[in-house]
Amino acid sequence: MRRKASLVLLAFAVFFAALSPLLRWYAFPRLAKIPANQYQAVVLEAKNATLLDYGTMKARTVPKVTIVQTLKGDVAAAKKIDRTAGRDVVVWDGLSYVQGPDGKMVSEIPERYIFDAHSQAPVHATGEMVDGDPVKRTGIEFKFPFLTQKRDYEYFDAQTRTTNPIHYKGTQDFRGLKVYYFEQTIPWTQVRFPKVMPVKGITPQSVARTGTTRWYTTVRKFWVEPVTGAPVYGEEIHKEELRGGTLLGGRDKVTAFAGHVKMREDYIRHTVALVKSNRTLVLLMTSYLPWGFLVLGTLLLALALWLEARGRRPGDPEPAAAQAPEPVSA
Amino acid sequence: MRALIAAATGLAVAFALVLTITAMGTPTGKTSPKPLLTTVPAHP
Repeated sequence: MRRKASLVLLAFAVFFAALSPLLRWYAFPRLAKIPANQYQAVVLEAKNATLLDYGTMKARTVPKVTIVQTLKGDVAAAKKIDRTAGRDVVVWDGLSYVQGPDGKMVSEIPERYIFDAHSQAPVHATGEMVDGDPVKRTGIEFKFPFLTQKRDYEYFDAQTRTTNPIHYKGTQDFRGLKVYYFEQTIPWTQVRFPKVMPVKGITPQSVARTGTTRWYTTVRKFWVEPVTGAPVYGEEIHKEELRGGTLLGGRDKVTAFAGHVKMREDYIRHTVALVKSNRTLVLLMTSYLPWGFLVLGTLLLALALWLEARGRRPGDPEPAAAQAPEPVSA
Repeated sequence: MRALIAAATGLAVAFALVLTITAMGTPTGKTSPKPLLTTVPAHP
């Protein structure tokens, strides 16, 4: 009976011991994925920002500029690309909508970002774009990979349509979460005018004819929860200028927008709560269950060996030997 | 010999379980009907 029990325990010990690395190294990369149907919005604000008044072509300080950034997963497009790419991909349609203090649109830039659902690596397919212009991203955007490392990453900048390093600058505590702080500086770069301009009748083509150009610089800051790779907070010190041409009435340059953009408080709280719950799920697959199974497997193995050893203990009574018949003397 | 068979059974079941779960994959769902926002939402 003991022998049978130790064999069953041995089978369970091997089962759990094998499950531990299989879960961490085989199942995790195949199961931990950004859902293809994800929908999320975030609101950022720049208080006391500088904004160009297109009526007077003069920069003025306004109490607040609001940026609404929406990301929406296109499931049908993702499935179509899955088949050709041979892996699970996510297709995000994004919109960065900037609203002035009067509620009117300042700019709106649509994007399509296609990436590997687990590794976050960009996937190139027809439809990848920024503001209608085809692009080929070579870095991440919006989110960092699962199990983010303490190193620099390549990050895509939608305004310049270029990929540049985003530097790891240290580990911090953000509202009870351990986060990695990343920072990227885009130097002054000439960029395209948005396809949709804030004033009716003005188009990128009509502005281009005046010889005026648009320039942009930013310092992008992300506080990233490393287990999920999700930024829990973001800031941008963003500046845009119009330079040269006849549009500026003889001036060299005029500020189109300047502001310190920060996530709105209610969205910070919402993001932190969401990331905390998702973090537990990822940790379950990468840490809690693999370690738990390994410990359980070891304990079961020890128990199986102990039972087996007890079954063979030398102190146990030997089975009674058959008595040989005494020789009978004549 | 019986110990070897027991260990092999445990290993095979572990592989079968993980392969089945990963083959099932994760549900993709449907594209959200919500629009890309052009107004400032009051709350998340």
